[in-house]
Amino acid sequence: MRGVLVTGSDTTLGERLVRALLADESVGHVVAVGRRPPEQALPLVTQSRMTYLPVDLTRERRVHDLLFGPARDLGVEVVVHTAFAGTALDEGGSVHAQNVDATRQLMNLCERHPTIQRFVLRSFAEVYQVQHDLPVLIAEDHLLNLKANAPQYVRDRVEADLHACVRMGLSRLRILVLRCAEVLAPGTGSQIFDYLESPVCFRPMGYDPMLNLLSLQDFTRAFVAAVHAEQQGVFNIPGADTLPLSLAITKWGRIGISVPGSWMTPLYRWRNRVRGHDFRYGMNRRRFHYSGVLDGRRAREELGYLPSAGINWPIR
Amino acid sequence: MSMLPVAARLFAAARLPEAELKRLQGLAYGDAGHGYDPFGLHPDFVAFGEALTRPLYERWFRVRSSGHEHLPATGPGIIASNHSGAIPLDSSMIWTDVVRHTNPPRVARPVADHFVPMIPVVGTVFARAGMVGGSRQNAAALLDRGDLLLIHPEGVPGIAKHFKDRYHLQEWRVGHVELAIRHRAPVIPTAVVGAEEQMPQVGRIPIAFWGLPFIPITVPPFPLPVRYHLRYGAPIALHERYTPDQADDPAVVREGAAEVKAAVQGLIDGMLAERKGIFT
Repeated sequence: MRGVLVTGSDTTLGERLVRALLADESVGHVVAVGRRPPEQALPLVTQSRMTYLPVDLTRERRVHDLLFGPARDLGVEVVVHTAFAGTALDEGGSVHAQNVDATRQLMNLCERHPTIQRFVLRSFAEVYQVQHDLPVLIAEDHLLNLKANAPQYVRDRVEADLHACVRMGLSRLRILVLRCAEVLAPGTGSQIFDYLESPVCFRPMGYDPMLNLLSLQDFTRAFVAAVHAEQQGVFNIPGADTLPLSLAITKWGRIGISVPGSWMTPLYRWRNRVRGHDFRYGMNRRRFHYSGVLDGRRAREELGYLPSAGINWPIR
Repeated sequence: MSMLPVAARLFAAARLPEAELKRLQGLAYGDAGHGYDPFGLHPDFVAFGEALTRPLYERWFRVRSSGHEHLPATGPGIIASNHSGAIPLDSSMIWTDVVRHTNPPRVARPVADHFVPMIPVVGTVFARAGMVGGSRQNAAALLDRGDLLLIHPEGVPGIAKHFKDRYHLQEWRVGHVELAIRHRAPVIPTAVVGAEEQMPQVGRIPIAFWGLPFIPITVPPFPLPVRYHLRYGAPIALHERYTPDQADDPAVVREGAAEVKAAVQGLIDGMLAERKGIFT
C-alpha cells in the first residue's frame, strides 16, 4: 500500500493511529492531517515516511488542494477520517460543519480522486439507541438514535454515519464505517472518561447497566485492520472490557453513590457549571439505566478484529 | 444500593452449604472479561439467588420436581412453561430447580417482559441472576451461545388470569417455537402446579410507572404455603423436523406452538390428577 491519509491526527486517537501505521511496514507513507500548526501537533513530524499538514477540513478548497496535491503525489490509497468535534458542549453551525459537512465534502472529493480507493470513517457507539425494550447486544442493524431531542453531539454523528452508509454501493470507493465503543482515554471526547474523572460518581439508584469500553490499543488495531481490509460495510468495534457501571467506578478508585434518578440531571448540571466538565447526564440517561454492549461478531469474521487489550485501570 | 459481587458472595456463603457453593463454582457461562456476561449475569449473584430462594423452595413451597433428565446438560434449549400466581414466583422456582438439579449447574435464563428491566433494583438483581429483557435478539443471542432459556409463552396474561381460569392455558404465543427452529434448540415443555392457588387474584390496580401493567389485588396479600409441583416433559425436537428457513412459515410455527401447548397442558392435567391437595 502506497499511502494512508489520517484526519484528526493531532488528537489522542489520531496520533496513536499514525504511530501504528508508521509501525506497519506495509504502509508506504502516512499523510497526517490536523488543525494545529506542525510545531504544536505531532512529535513525529521528522519521520521520513510521514507528512503532517495542517488543514481546516471545513474549507472545501483547502481539502480539495490537499487531496489533489500532496495526497495524489504521495499515492494515498486510503483515507481514515477521525476528525470530529471532541466535546459534547460544542454546539452550533461550525461544529456541524466540522462533523458532518466536512465528512460529506471529504467523501465527495475522494470519490473522484485518481488514487484513493478506500474510505474509513470513525463512527461511534453513541449513534445507537439504548432503551429497556431493545437488545442488550447491539448488532450493526440496531436502531439508530434519530430522536428529535437528541443532542447535537449525537445527531451530528448519526448524520455523518448515515451519509457514509448511503454512499456505500453508490460510490466507487470501498467504504468502511467503524462504530467504536467508547475509548476510555483522555482527549478522546469520551463521556464516561469525563464522568469517571470526578472523585465522586453519582449513578441512578437501582440501576447498574453493562458497558463496553475500548482501549487505545484495540482502537488502533481495528483501524489498521480496516486500512488493509478488502470488504466494505458497517462494523461494530467493541472493547475487551464489558462490565457494569458500578465496577467501572470501583476500578477507577472512585466513590460511587446511588441517588434517585431525578437528582442526576441537576447534580451534573451543577457540576458542569462549577467545574466546567464535559459530561452531560441528559445525553447518557438511558445508558445509565439500560445495558448496551456492542456485538463485534462482524468485525471478527470479516476484519479479523478481536478485542484483546483491556483497559489498564485506573487511567491517569 | 451496591451491586458488588462481594456482598452477594458473603450472603450466599452465609446461607448455602459449602458443597453447594463449591458446585456452583462450576457454573458454565460466557464471561465477557470482568466476571460478568454481556447481559449482566454474574455467578456470585446466581449463588445469591439460590440462597435467597432456598427457603421458599425448600420450606415454603416444598417443591417436588421430576423430569430433570430432559434438561439438556449442554447446548441450547428452551424451557416453555405455564405462568401463574399473580407474582412470578413460578419462574423463580423453575430457575432454582434448574440450578439445583443440573450438574455442572446451568442457569435457566428467564426471558422477561419489556417492563422488568425498568424496575429499579429488581431489574438489576434479576439481570445478575440471568434474566434478559424480552427482545427476540436477546433470546437469539443466548441460544447461539448455547444457553438455556426459560420462556412463559402465555406472558403477563398467564400470571394475571382470574382464579376461576386456573390451569387453563391462556393465548399461547409462538415466538419460542420460531426461536427453537431457527436457532436449533429443543423445547422442553414444563408445567408448574401449585402456583395458581398461592395468591388468588380478585382485582387489579392499574398503574403508570416503570411500565408495570398493573398491581394485582390478591387474597391473601402474600403467597400461601401451597406445595409446588414441577415437571419437565420430554424435549420436542422441532429443530430436527424443520429447517431454519421454516421458522418463517406461520403454519409451521403455529403447529409447533400448539404441540408445545398440548404437551404442557398434558403435564398439568397429569399432575392435577395425581395431586392430593393444595398444601400436600
